[in-house]
Amino acid sequence: MSRAAGAAGRGAGGGGGGPPGLAAPLRRCLPGRGRAGGFWEATLAPRVLAAYRVSLVTSLVAASLNAVFGLLVAWVLVRYRFPGRRVVDALVDLPFALPTAVAGIALTTLYAENGWLGARLAPLGIKVSYTTLGITVALVFIGLPFVVRTLQPVLQDLEAEIEEAAASLGATRWQTFRRVLLPALLPALLTGFALAFARAIGEYGSVVFISGNMPMRTEIAPLLIMTKLEQFDYAGATAIAVVLLLMSFALLLCINVLQWWSRRQAA
Amino acid sequence: MSIGVQGLAKRFGGFEALKNVSLEIPSGELVALLGPSGSGKTTLLRLIAGLERPDAGTILFHGEDATRRDVRDRQVGFVFQHYALFRHMSVFENVAFGLRVRPRHLRPPEAEIRTTVTDLLKLVQLDWLADRQPSQLSGGQRQRVALARALAVKPEVLLLDEPFGALDAKVRKELRRWLRRLHEEVHVTTVFVTHDQDEAMEVADRIVVMNEGRIEQVGHPEAVYEHPATPFVYSFLGNVNLFHGRVAEGRAEVAGQEVAMPDWAAGLDRDAVAYVRTYEVELAREPNGSPAIETVLRHVRRFGPMVRLELDRVEDGQVIEAEVPRARFEELGVGRGERVYVKPRSARLFPR
Amino acid sequence: MAGIVTSRLHAAPDRTSALTEPRPVRWALTGVALAFLVLFLFIPLVAVFTEGLKKGWEAYLAALVEPDALAAVRLTLLTAAVAVPLNTAFGVAAAWCLAKFRFPGRSILLTLIDLPFAVSPVIAGMVFVLLFGTQGWFGGWLFDHDVKIVFAVPGIVLATTFVTFPFVARELIPLMQEQGPEEEEAARVLGASGWQIFWRVTLPNIKWGLLYGVILCNARAMGEFGAVSVVSGHIRGLTNTLPLHIEILYNEYNFAAAFAVASPLALLGLVTLVAKTAVEWCQARELARGAGAS
Repeated sequence: MSRAAGAAGRGAGGGGGGPPGLAAPLRRCLPGRGRAGGFWEATLAPRVLAAYRVSLVTSLVAASLNAVFGLLVAWVLVRYRFPGRRVVDALVDLPFALPTAVAGIALTTLYAENGWLGARLAPLGIKVSYTTLGITVALVFIGLPFVVRTLQPVLQDLEAEIEEAAASLGATRWQTFRRVLLPALLPALLTGFALAFARAIGEYGSVVFISGNMPMRTEIAPLLIMTKLEQFDYAGATAIAVVLLLMSFALLLCINVLQWWSRRQAA
Repeated sequence: MSIGVQGLAKRFGGFEALKNVSLEIPSGELVALLGPSGSGKTTLLRLIAGLERPDAGTILFHGEDATRRDVRDRQVGFVFQHYALFRHMSVFENVAFGLRVRPRHLRPPEAEIRTTVTDLLKLVQLDWLADRQPSQLSGGQRQRVALARALAVKPEVLLLDEPFGALDAKVRKELRRWLRRLHEEVHVTTVFVTHDQDEAMEVADRIVVMNEGRIEQVGHPEAVYEHPATPFVYSFLGNVNLFHGRVAEGRAEVAGQEVAMPDWAAGLDRDAVAYVRTYEVELAREPNGSPAIETVLRHVRRFGPMVRLELDRVEDGQVIEAEVPRARFEELGVGRGERVYVKPRSARLFPR
Repeated sequence: MAGIVTSRLHAAPDRTSALTEPRPVRWALTGVALAFLVLFLFIPLVAVFTEGLKKGWEAYLAALVEPDALAAVRLTLLTAAVAVPLNTAFGVAAAWCLAKFRFPGRSILLTLIDLPFAVSPVIAGMVFVLLFGTQGWFGGWLFDHDVKIVFAVPGIVLATTFVTFPFVARELIPLMQEQGPEEEEAARVLGASGWQIFWRVTLPNIKWGLLYGVILCNARAMGEFGAVSVVSGHIRGLTNTLPLHIEILYNEYNFAAAFAVASPLALLGLVTLVAKTAVEWCQARELARGAGAS
């Protein structure tokens, strides 16, 4: 499916994908290895820009969802006792342990229009597989443990006294959470978010199946690298890779700064 | 506000932290809960605060049942041993917290918050640190911020859990004096937990001595020290020597000495333990006719005007501690390894 | 440490209103969190097995023993058999150096170890193509000497090794740092040689962490898709690992077979999770025993 759609997309990208004025440099760039200016043409072609946009937007949305639900899951696992808690806790690592391709085909099948979940969503007009929503679902799957596992130890180590102090000063539970606990969790939450985001931008295996790989719409940047490599357009692939790497390194830098910040706050 | 505690009990798993405790604390008093670790003093304090729920018993605030009242509605200020300051807030914001979280219609306007917080910081002598982060303060300063924060909500009761426990000796001493003076100024009913007898003696109007989840004695510091009600209180407050003896028909025999015990004239014949404070022993080089305990001087330490002696009882090797004025020791003129005869000047007996 | 954790577990049920939420809120939060986990983690996992068995046991087994599938299994096992021991040896050595010594370039080495985590697997694979492909840096030399790396087994092994390279080291570094150098120093003072110290002091201390690192490394080595996909060339029966075989079956609309082949990998993932839980349990027990003894 993905390969077939990808092949179809490749034709579309070269032909009617974008305005002719912008598509022309792309066409020139494809065979144009080693030409001066090839780098910028390869990185700024509309199909490439669209792929960055899809990658960034879906990764950002997925990491944000992970921040919210990851915080909730970590909170429930650390604070509440319920039967099966240990099993659930172990299950959180599943995205680390399950091969991405396996996750990819499972999610695609579930959310396809005739799939177990997709069939329930279709009457509501929600299409998941082969849309950006599908990409986001796969990236949420991949990123969840990063947020949960970063938050859990921090939540575990929060002193109960801080909350008791807030309560004795008259703060409601929500005020205590918003004004006392959340600021204390923020560095870890942002670190988890950045880790999930970094992973999402580079993710390939779980996304290629569910995305449908339509150029300009559901084609992610790592897949575009793959496509260019298959066409032996190494310069084009390298150009996209360099941009992705720069994003990863910027995120790594953010993560290091965040960890420095949280260490300072803990001192 | 007065605090009443009636028949309070609390267990944690298999551990009985508090067993049927009753206590009255009059309004405006400064009370110390004193006891060794595990005696239930912190549990009692946390129950009064509403940070724990009792298994049995009632807590009265001003005569009103407050047992089921939530912490938030109890109007108590609580100061934690490890300060529990909010790390990401400045000193000012920490103190202002209790005012800012009030429901909108009860929240004072910003200008009023500002003056209240500034006044409180002046009271704890930290107004010059208002913009600092808690991590930039010393332990003593942090504890004073915690106190100001607790006072900001105008509590009717101030509860302090080992407030100076984490500080070094010198700062601790300063803060004790300072807490005493602060209490004179704000005069709010104050209960603090401590395991340090000196601290309790120096600061409190009244001392509640606790042991193994029960209250052993309640009273003014001098009264508790001079007239301990139980053997535990005797041994917990100050240094004591312990002698085994027997009581019979209004007389007791302790360490070879006869002591009149009119309280126990009932004529039972039983074992007893005598407690003798280290400064309540008479030392002599000769037995001088009357019965005395024969000891050997082992160790001498000079502390200011007093000399502390460690003596080994010849009969059974028991260690006896004695404290005598320096002049008396010079007069005695004994050296290490020499014989000394010990006579208790007064003793307190408890039958077993 | 262990004491604090257990007391927290006991304290949890009777937390007062100062420390926990009203019961309905607690239930609602737990409900939403569990629903989220079931939707995103549990159902996909179950789907692998149900889809694999959709056409019955016979079709399931047939998909597994089909020659191309068996070839993929062999290649996957071979890859893991090379990558896992290599990374174990390297991981232990790197963690030892990083945790016990301070040297110039230490932070650079730390960053390098994390590199495969930060880089997209596709880019990792691409680097090998750029290096060893026919037009790559060493491509000409390799071609002259008739050595094939990219689109052949060595490329797959190389890419897998690169991608799985941080797992053991990352698992061990915090563990060794926490333990500090005291025990090794004590052993040295008592006259033990370097090897003796390693075998008798260091290794027993890190065995659980090491075990989990190896298990995780193995799971990733057998399941790696992106990087391997770039360097493999997808030659059926020759350069297809299990994940690549799954991709081909899926793209040929042979869904049941794809899931059938995916099920052993999902099982491997489950085993990894169980192993992790077991290792954590053993570690906590050992810690508790250590705390009790001291």
